[in-house]
Amino acid sequence: MVFFGLCNIAAFLFVEEGIKPVYIPIKPDICMEATKTNFNRRAFLKASALAGGGLILHFSALAKLGFDDKSQLADAPAQWNEITGYIKITDDNVVKILCPNPEFGQNVMTSLPMMVAEELDVDWKKVVVEMGPHDNVKLGPQFTGGSMSVRMYWKPLREAGAAARNMLLQAAAQTWAVPVEELSTKAGVIYHEKTGRKGVYGDFASKAAAIPVPKGVKLKDVKNFNVVRHSQKNVEGAKIVSGKPLFGLDYKQEGMLIAMIHHPPAFGLKLKSFDASAALKMPGIKDIFSIKMFEDGFEQAGFDTRSFNTLLVVVGKTTWEVMNARKKLVAEWMPAGDTKDTMGGRVGKREVTVPGELETTATQLEKMKQHAAMPANQMRKDGDPETAFKNAAQIVERTYVAPFLAHNCMEPMNFFAHVTDEKALLAGPLQGPGWSEPTLSKILGLPADKIEIQMTRMGGGFGRRAYSHYQVEAALISKKMKAPIKLIYSREDDTTYGIYRPMYTATYRAALDANKNLIAFHVKGGGIPENAIHANRFPAGAIDNYLAEGWEIPSNITIGAFRAPRSNFNAAAEQSFLDELAEAMGKDPIDFRLELLARAKEKPVGKNNEYDADRYAGILKLVKEKSGWGKPEHSQYHRGVAAYFCHNSYAAHVVDMVIKDGQPYVERVFSAIDCGIVVNPDAATNMVQGAVVDGIGNSLYGGLTHKNGEVEQKNFHSYRIIRMHEAPKKVEVYFVQNDIDPSGLGEPPFPPVFGAVANALYKSTGKRYYQQPFTSPQSEVPTV
Amino acid sequence: MRNTWFVMIVGVVVAFAIMAFSLNNSKTAEPPVALKKDSVASVAAFKKVYTVLMSARCMNCHPSGDVPLQGDDNHLHTMLPKRGTDGKGLYAMKCANCHQPTNTAGLHAPPGNPNWHLPPADMKMVFQGKTPRQLAQQLIDPKQNGHKDLKALIAHADDGLVKGGWNPGDGRTLPPMSYVAFKKAWLTWLNTGAYAPAK
Amino acid sequence: MLSLNINKKTYKVDADPDTPLLWVLRDHVGLVGTKFGCGVAQCGACVVHLNGEAVRSCVTKASRAEGKQVVTIEGLAENDDHPLQKAWLELDVSQCGYCQAGQIMSAAVLLKENKKPTDEDINDAMAGNICRCGTYLRIRDAIHLAADIQAKEGAGK
Repeated sequence: MVFFGLCNIAAFLFVEEGIKPVYIPIKPDICMEATKTNFNRRAFLKASALAGGGLILHFSALAKLGFDDKSQLADAPAQWNEITGYIKITDDNVVKILCPNPEFGQNVMTSLPMMVAEELDVDWKKVVVEMGPHDNVKLGPQFTGGSMSVRMYWKPLREAGAAARNMLLQAAAQTWAVPVEELSTKAGVIYHEKTGRKGVYGDFASKAAAIPVPKGVKLKDVKNFNVVRHSQKNVEGAKIVSGKPLFGLDYKQEGMLIAMIHHPPAFGLKLKSFDASAALKMPGIKDIFSIKMFEDGFEQAGFDTRSFNTLLVVVGKTTWEVMNARKKLVAEWMPAGDTKDTMGGRVGKREVTVPGELETTATQLEKMKQHAAMPANQMRKDGDPETAFKNAAQIVERTYVAPFLAHNCMEPMNFFAHVTDEKALLAGPLQGPGWSEPTLSKILGLPADKIEIQMTRMGGGFGRRAYSHYQVEAALISKKMKAPIKLIYSREDDTTYGIYRPMYTATYRAALDANKNLIAFHVKGGGIPENAIHANRFPAGAIDNYLAEGWEIPSNITIGAFRAPRSNFNAAAEQSFLDELAEAMGKDPIDFRLELLARAKEKPVGKNNEYDADRYAGILKLVKEKSGWGKPEHSQYHRGVAAYFCHNSYAAHVVDMVIKDGQPYVERVFSAIDCGIVVNPDAATNMVQGAVVDGIGNSLYGGLTHKNGEVEQKNFHSYRIIRMHEAPKKVEVYFVQNDIDPSGLGEPPFPPVFGAVANALYKSTGKRYYQQPFTSPQSEVPTV
Repeated sequence: MRNTWFVMIVGVVVAFAIMAFSLNNSKTAEPPVALKKDSVASVAAFKKVYTVLMSARCMNCHPSGDVPLQGDDNHLHTMLPKRGTDGKGLYAMKCANCHQPTNTAGLHAPPGNPNWHLPPADMKMVFQGKTPRQLAQQLIDPKQNGHKDLKALIAHADDGLVKGGWNPGDGRTLPPMSYVAFKKAWLTWLNTGAYAPAK
Repeated sequence: MLSLNINKKTYKVDADPDTPLLWVLRDHVGLVGTKFGCGVAQCGACVVHLNGEAVRSCVTKASRAEGKQVVTIEGLAENDDHPLQKAWLELDVSQCGYCQAGQIMSAAVLLKENKKPTDEDINDAMAGNICRCGTYLRIRDAIHLAADIQAKEGAGK
């Protein structure tokens, strides 16, 4: 395949012949096909020299090669010996490890290859890391999201490393004619002690590549790790700070056109007509047309969410020319009315009605109130909560509300597409290429093996880039233009065409007896358009009489995953409520939680409790100790605590708040995390610190409102994002030390920040805050 | 949380117990502008001037603190740029880094002026929070008005940055009267004795 | 035809003089280290130096840059070894990395004008740069570290 510019590099590097990517669940043995591939060695060596200085080298065509570096590629290629799908070694001993998962800042390009390197037994500082091609057969599920990357690759990647090491050992044993059991390795060198022989991996790589991939090779004891569990620097750090092309928006091809999309200005509207005559006369403009995303009856998969089905497209030579032409484009919009979507996926084909209402935030709030008063679906019931509430000496009841949130990835949505009659190349920021490929295949009428998806670094994701509509849009535009195009969303496009965090509410009730014992607990949650409640999580399991209920209001506002979906609301509401409840019961908020957890451990109520009460208690104890909870020397701070379990991990925070210039300011935070084995400690710390900052920002300032279907926030002037002076100066992060297999980390530290901030606000102001964002004027008005 | 941004509630109470202020012309050799003192006309004119100066277009760059204001609600400028000693900002947050010589097109894009700045740190010329009387007194006090004498004050009506208030960029409201009406009121106030209202 | 001096090289660019410098850099010159974030000077991802000032290239017309020195992240230091770049790597600041070029370009003006910035000075200089991943703590620490490096080694080439 011959393209110009970057693409020929990409084709050169990324395409493995004869492998048909289809989505299948990861299994270790499917990752082990050995093939040989070619690679341009001089380009690599030059890249290495540039990256130099003893730093870890990362190499990829996208990342390294500036647009004027094409000449490097003219040289003869070197041989890469592929040893398992993840590892390539040249005869002169360059070891390359492919990262299977897209990188959006969670640092998987470092942590996943570290896991391979650990078992392969190589010197990490000499390893070359490269983003892998999209190839679900060879490289597994390849999705970034659900805090799954490390979890789902923990075993397969170590097994790949161990298998490769074993293959290299077998090759050495054959070469030296010695028993394989007598060989050992250290940092990429194979030794035969008896004969004093030694050789580097490269010496045996070509032979090893022909050896069948062994199964069941024993893995290292986690106590003996020397790459994993040690802090390793971001492999793309040097490229980031020097402005190298890394991101989707940086992707470029010869002859590439720029496209932008005009979507309806409000949810519930659709295109009626347009007049492009003036815009078409603008300089650089190639074409203006509308595209239809899905034909009627198209069976949508889980991540096919799209806000609008018909879009206006402006295509031109440069971004600025297209932006200017858009100003001259005249479009008329009309109410879409109720529409039907056909959904596919696991539950089977079904029709869903999308209401046509032009929604307004005040009405949304009013509707939620009405629904909250109506009977709801029972999600879990333990004991006899009705009777307990009837007999209660005191009932504490509070209602919490949180707004829609936009993800606000710093890199706006964008995608490159070059679609021809025979094949399609797509490159850009996407969390789950394996999810979008079947959709592209159907829409473009191309078999999956003719669709190549390249995963660029993402300028943030937070769940937003799991939804691939912008990739599909780019493909449709390229197909229509018969040219390579890059679709770019402006910031306003990005904010107002969102797959948002839903709007949520929940009412919590607690029944206390005459001695202030907690005898029953009731949560009834709902939202637009989904209910957030996790019925089987804490404090379920700790209270004899428990009831969880939920309800939902359909909406045309598109929603999806947002860093710790549902949990990011539940932790705010539930953890605020527990704080208030502890106070009503005259108990310390940490001690109160520990009492409940002790009960959940000793005599759990119900059978489906999702959390481990011991580990949950562990982070509370750790944060209590590390923050000096209750110690007088911290009395200058207003302290709030919260804890939460999600994505198999546990996180607790103590936030220390002061009031500065009349505004709440979280000056420092103590965090305790149990996510099992911490693969890359310093990077993990960075991620927790970032989650804390993100949580403070969203709880205090975040929110998206609607007026007649129109998103009222268009850009960062009205969608407030936390900034430097509002971020804490210190976030101390403590990980529970254990040898449990790693669980999620990108999301778990985020939700409890909301609760801790709410509880610190109460200490700061003497008022409870029930409605997010907490700095909004209506926040302190009790919603009950 | 109540929004604690400064919200100006301006009750303009005009009374006619008036005292005139003499203008210090000593720094200039120019002959003083002939005054036809008329306290009633002067205060009435200043009432108009005041509504303009306290409008977002003027007051937002004459804040009581060191951070300029934005919007018709006079909220603190997003990202908190600071005055700096010369009024032109600090470090990476100098006014002209975003505010171009001309308005940048588009809603919420920075308005522009070749000389975009706040008053300097040693002469803050605060409008925000000032009563009509306080503002009038400040405006004619060379120690507080940037060492302007009457003539300079008169000329100030034609200052590019002042006029810029009537070319505020896409989506921004205009001051409550036309530039011509403002200039007329400004000159009337000054030429009739620059009287300050009682409150 | 615009004539622009970018990172000490002269570029002749065939673009409307009203084109924002950002898009001239990205679409015409091919220097993509300067990022598009908001287009209205709100986020700081597009900061470049214009005669040493940290202008926001998304609202700076290319014509304003004529006859002036433009420096982008690619040209901040000859060997990408500005004290800030070293400090950023030392403290492994970046998460997604998209905003970091703008952060560094803003911080570079701070360090040039204030050799030993306090936390308050850092707030005053950096509140215009959004980091959605929330790496502010490390950015703050890296600026302090870079100030130390600069004191020892100078400001790089």
